[in-house]
Amino acid sequence: MSSEKKYWKSAEQLEENSPLVEALEQNEFADHIPADEFLGDKEKLEGSQTSRRDFLKYVGFSTAAASLAACEGPVVKSIPYVVQPERIIPGVADFYATTIADGFDFASVLVKTREGRPIKIDNNTVSNGLSAGKARVHASVLDLYDIQRLQNPQIENRDVTWTEFFSSLETDLKSNAEKKTYLLTQTFASPSTDKLIKEFQEQYPNVVRVVYDTVSDEAALDAFEAKYGYRALPNYDFSKSEMIVSVGADFLGDWQGGAFDSGYSKSRVPKDGKMSRHVQFEANMSLTGANADKRVPVKPSLQKKIVVEIYNQIVGKVASTNLSDALQNHVNNAITQLKSKSSKSIFVTGLQSLEAQAMALEINETLSSEVLNIENPRLIRQGQNSKIKTLISEAKAGNVGALMIAGVNPAYSLPNADEFIAALGNINTTVGFSMKKDETASRCKYIAATPHYLESWGDVRFTKKDFSLIQPTIQPLFNTKQFEDCLLKLTGNSSKYYEYVKTNFKSTFDGISWNQSLHDGSFSSNVELPKTTETSTVDFSSGARKLISESNAEGFELTLYTKTSLGDGRQANNPWLQEMPDPITRTSWDNYVTMSKADAEALGLTNTNVANGALNGNYVTVSLGDKKISKLPVIIQPGQAPGSIGIALGYGKTESIQEEMQVGVNAFPLYQDFDVNQNVTVDAVDGIHEFACVQLHHTMMGRRDIVKETTLEIFNTKDRHHWNAVPEVSLNHQEVKVTSPDVDLWEEFDRSIGHHFNLSIDLNACTGCGACVIACHSENNVPVVGKSEIRKSRDMHWLRIDRYYSSEETIVEDYDKKNNISGLFSAINTYGELEVASEEDVQVIFQPVMCQHCNHAPCETVCPVAASAHGRQGQNHMTYNRCVGTRYCANNCPYKVRRFNWFLYNQNDEFDYHMNNDLGRMVLNPDVTVRSRGVMEKCSMCIQKTQKTILDAKRDGRVIEDGEFHTACSAACDNGAMLFGDINDKESVVYKKAQDDRMYHLLEYLGTKPNVMYHTKVRNTTEA
Amino acid sequence: MSHYESPIRKPLVTGDKSYHDVTLDVVRPVEGKANKSWWVVFSIALIAFLWGLGCIVYTVSEGIGTWGLNKTIGWAWDITNFVWWVGIGHAGTLISAVLLLFRQKWRMAINRSAEAMTIFSVIQAGLFPIIHMGRPWLAYWVLPIPNQFGSLWVNFNSPLLWDVFAISTYLSVSLVFWWTGLLPDFAMIRDRAVKPFQKHIYGILSFGWSGRAKDWQRFEEVSLVLAGLATPLVLSVHTIVSFDFATSVIPGWHTTIFPPYFVAGAVFSGFAMVNTLLIIMRKVSNLENYITIQHIELMNIVIMITGSIVGVAYITELFMAWYSGVEYEQYAFLNRATGPYWWAYLLMMTCNVVSPQFMWFPKLRRSIMFSFFISIVVNIGMWFERFVIIVTSLHRDYMPSAWTMFSPTFVDIGIFVGTIGFFFVLFLLYARTFPVIAQAEVKSILKTSGEKYKKIRAEKGEHAKLYDEPVQEPLPNFTEQFNSKSNS
Repeated sequence: MSSEKKYWKSAEQLEENSPLVEALEQNEFADHIPADEFLGDKEKLEGSQTSRRDFLKYVGFSTAAASLAACEGPVVKSIPYVVQPERIIPGVADFYATTIADGFDFASVLVKTREGRPIKIDNNTVSNGLSAGKARVHASVLDLYDIQRLQNPQIENRDVTWTEFFSSLETDLKSNAEKKTYLLTQTFASPSTDKLIKEFQEQYPNVVRVVYDTVSDEAALDAFEAKYGYRALPNYDFSKSEMIVSVGADFLGDWQGGAFDSGYSKSRVPKDGKMSRHVQFEANMSLTGANADKRVPVKPSLQKKIVVEIYNQIVGKVASTNLSDALQNHVNNAITQLKSKSSKSIFVTGLQSLEAQAMALEINETLSSEVLNIENPRLIRQGQNSKIKTLISEAKAGNVGALMIAGVNPAYSLPNADEFIAALGNINTTVGFSMKKDETASRCKYIAATPHYLESWGDVRFTKKDFSLIQPTIQPLFNTKQFEDCLLKLTGNSSKYYEYVKTNFKSTFDGISWNQSLHDGSFSSNVELPKTTETSTVDFSSGARKLISESNAEGFELTLYTKTSLGDGRQANNPWLQEMPDPITRTSWDNYVTMSKADAEALGLTNTNVANGALNGNYVTVSLGDKKISKLPVIIQPGQAPGSIGIALGYGKTESIQEEMQVGVNAFPLYQDFDVNQNVTVDAVDGIHEFACVQLHHTMMGRRDIVKETTLEIFNTKDRHHWNAVPEVSLNHQEVKVTSPDVDLWEEFDRSIGHHFNLSIDLNACTGCGACVIACHSENNVPVVGKSEIRKSRDMHWLRIDRYYSSEETIVEDYDKKNNISGLFSAINTYGELEVASEEDVQVIFQPVMCQHCNHAPCETVCPVAASAHGRQGQNHMTYNRCVGTRYCANNCPYKVRRFNWFLYNQNDEFDYHMNNDLGRMVLNPDVTVRSRGVMEKCSMCIQKTQKTILDAKRDGRVIEDGEFHTACSAACDNGAMLFGDINDKESVVYKKAQDDRMYHLLEYLGTKPNVMYHTKVRNTTEA
Repeated sequence: MSHYESPIRKPLVTGDKSYHDVTLDVVRPVEGKANKSWWVVFSIALIAFLWGLGCIVYTVSEGIGTWGLNKTIGWAWDITNFVWWVGIGHAGTLISAVLLLFRQKWRMAINRSAEAMTIFSVIQAGLFPIIHMGRPWLAYWVLPIPNQFGSLWVNFNSPLLWDVFAISTYLSVSLVFWWTGLLPDFAMIRDRAVKPFQKHIYGILSFGWSGRAKDWQRFEEVSLVLAGLATPLVLSVHTIVSFDFATSVIPGWHTTIFPPYFVAGAVFSGFAMVNTLLIIMRKVSNLENYITIQHIELMNIVIMITGSIVGVAYITELFMAWYSGVEYEQYAFLNRATGPYWWAYLLMMTCNVVSPQFMWFPKLRRSIMFSFFISIVVNIGMWFERFVIIVTSLHRDYMPSAWTMFSPTFVDIGIFVGTIGFFFVLFLLYARTFPVIAQAEVKSILKTSGEKYKKIRAEKGEHAKLYDEPVQEPLPNFTEQFNSKSNS
């Protein structure tokens, strides 16, 4: 149907005969369009260069260009694999066994890689050798992604190609045939490297090799060599010990390569009423002393006398010692117990003296100690530091033409580093094999950029029988070549070091599978260890006199030590380690002088807390001969022997260290003759130092609900109620245990189905080493916040290890003291006294604390948005997405384990640590969210790990076995202190742990019903 | 008049005021021009407010890390300020609602400003729960509104959620109650206004109040209903605020005495703030005849009583800590009094318990200067009470390893100062634009309690003629006629 409607076009239509209407009827436009003029001008059109096609091209191009330019999206260069590698499945981790052997730390490890990136170091549980990954080992993965690493080889500070590097270096080396070439290396403990160096020496006969340990164990090596003919260190299996006496040996720290703690812990857990007894004589409060049953603070000079006295009484009298009565009494008690336990006892000393070490070997031989293992000695320290003197004097004399330095940093770590640096100037060809342009490398003509151990090949002989292999877990990130590959090149060997190691393996270890060994990371073999020298005897009577005569010290006796976190300082650019609190002082980002309170008072030094609680201290100058270290801050250390001080090595590095991590003071100049014990003078100087201490209150205030402790005697003889009573509350005038459902305010969750996770922490097995702290840091992408934030008590550690000092002589006395309070004034006085740690005779206790995953969690009820919620498997979940950041949960947490993101800690220049650069972020665990600012975070009981285990089992259609579940901390703890599992599995170890008499929950009386349990600390106080 | 009042009773309105005088006294600040001192004070308040705003912007853009909080002390000045401002906000509703129900006529002179103070301080208080959040842009998540997150709901167990309801209810009821009372007074200003703009604005504000008998009847009814609604709120708001602490497990927070103790403390601090403001305002705005010494004395008595209740509560807490036998409780209170924050505890005790006791002396409680001084002291004391409860309980709780201290940053201080500035900006604007005395109500007691009429009654006997019959004259326009009617 046609429409009759008439549409109006304009008002003009109203007017009849309007010229406009007429015009519009014929034309589309009212005005004339000059198309004809334009198109009609043929001449002009034909003359034009732009054709119609061109025009369309221009329009097309400019439209496309304009629209492309308008939407400038982020361009992410992600290139998919052309050929998918067989084993790399996105989202599934691959594990490789390898070995860290950086000259200070030696351990067989398991590396977790995701999408080809190593992201986490785990303990290698299959390894029979040194599998104990300590904090530094766990943190070493971050060193791989250090932006300060050298990316290319350099000649005279200029990036070069390897071809140019080698052609120039070979010319230099060959032209140096006249003079000596020194090869200064770390302890590699590697059969292949040693063989290769020998081949290199054959090629260049003028090469002299010097092995240098930054922190030397030369005295022990010499003593062992003299007695047994091998240049090695004795090995100890503390798990067999029943009586341990240590004089200044920090064997739970880095003494003789460390890693004795898993054996030690085994002997410390009371079993059938028995546990080992540990007596420690030491000057600094060390991790070992903190774990001892009896710790006697004595200066190093007295320690020497004690060694002689023990030798006197066990082996035979060599010199009289004139100990004070009190000390003589302690020593006599220790000796009696050593003798009574005879073969189950062990004596160790950390004194850097051939005589003392030789005496220790004699004493143990006389005791016929089973703990001492001389059949399988340790090879992880080989240093002949005394030879460095020769090197320097020869260099001064101009006899050295070339010096090659691999794996060590003598320009930083030598006590006479300035002499060494001066000597470097006398050497034409200096080569540094280094990952960093450190103090030494930066002064070398050639710097060979070396890869991280996770990018390298190699083999390690930890002990005579225990071997381990190093395999790369990632392609080298930079243009690097490992030291051994460089040597191969220099010796003209065209094979790669991988082939060299493999060939060497096949020729040496007949019948051992290379693939299996590489898979396991370690293997054992009885290949003979060549004797280094003939045995010789040590003159003990003159040695003893020498030890005793050294005892007339003036001023202070210094004991240098290495911190659990930083060791000898080669990982100083690792923010995880810098931020890790020292187990004893709980101070991070610093080294300092530890001093007894009496001495500090005499010098007028104080430690004070400022308004926000942060710790401040005074400075001293420590001088040794003409060496003077100025401005060292002082921490007053309970348990420090009066007249002695301690300083940690490994700090004060400045080259190729990020500015934030250039902390502390280099104490190596005090390490004269590579002896940790020195006589120094200390003078107070002006100034206030700001410490970053995470624990500002040092005593437990006699609160038995926090750490329960008892003695072995009471543990063995009395009922649980006496030493581990469950708190009781009154219900209808009846005392009822708080664990009873009758006094429960809440409905119990139904736990019968599925898993119910529990974490057990045995305070007897925990040595406080802090491996778990770093493992947690690395697994859970915990941010590093830096020194100034730590000072504001804003550390982000999900897992902390609390350290408490006793206020009385023992922690048990603290409990009694608090219980004896009666009346207001007694309370004021007693609490006042309990706040102060005991000065000299002090007991120390460690307690790892993370989220307790309460079944009745105080945090869960208070969150207005339900971001904190309970899981079926017992976890207390934290939903980051949902959190609005009221912090109510943290306030209401009695354990104070919740951590708030005060700022944006990633991709923020204010926090310029690994999360602020592309390389550093490669270490992040893709399974764990990186938290944004304004949200609360805390321990998740590694739900990403437990879920993985559950899903794997589900896929395989099998039941999960006990021991499969792990958290990062329980996996990192090889002391057996942390055990994780499902208590719905009644056969599981953790279920048995939950039934143990020693089991208690932290602050049990609150009724929070945590899923983390602790085991009462038992101390063996049997004196004789 | 409906109610006879003995001439022996002190008059509530002094200075021989007639109805018209009342009108003139109330509109004077609104119709007049601000003097120099108003501008000076207003500028200072505005600068403080802007500074606080800057600090808030800084906090929101950088993070809560700009404050002095730490892992152990998750709340400090933020929640201290919050509770302090909420507490101050209690006086207004108490005066206007509870005293209305109890027929306390002296409230009429002060209820308007007291309630204005309530609303302005609740606004300050309401800021803190929002800005103290780590992610304040998600603050709406605490509201139980339908959302796109599936069945995700708020946690009704959380006292913080109850706070959201309590504060928002309190603010809205107070605002409605206040505004209802304002309607006849706004209408009065509207009717007097000569500038069209002003007339228009006050016309909107007065919601078309006509002054008919029906209006008055509805007005009375609504006031009574709202007073009934607001009365439980006086008790509930601070009870719920105290639940933030009382339902927790922290020693020093976990106390059943908190609800009554907090309510008493809130009334205490609220009356102190009313005193602070009105002592200044009666002078500046020449309202001495309405806000008399008697008013101040009565408020001082309330301060004295509530202060004593608070004192009893403090002592009860100490007693309970001892009596409970729980070592954590005992230590928490011992630490409050003798620990590193002893000075805050001492300040709290002196300001809140000792200083109100001076009010037993009639001479002191009738002294303007002394009342002003004590009101400031009480305000300081009550701020420290909240600081003591929050910070000293948190800084040393269960685990000695986590014990630490708190020190405010410039941002903490800036935001607090900023809210004081904001409060005074609002109050100063209010003083110049709102009828600061509920003149319609005051007029209702003028004959029974006004000095002028009492005098007439005293002289001429009870049935004296108090006024001349108005002579009915033809009026030029309706408005004026209406105006004079509504005012008489």
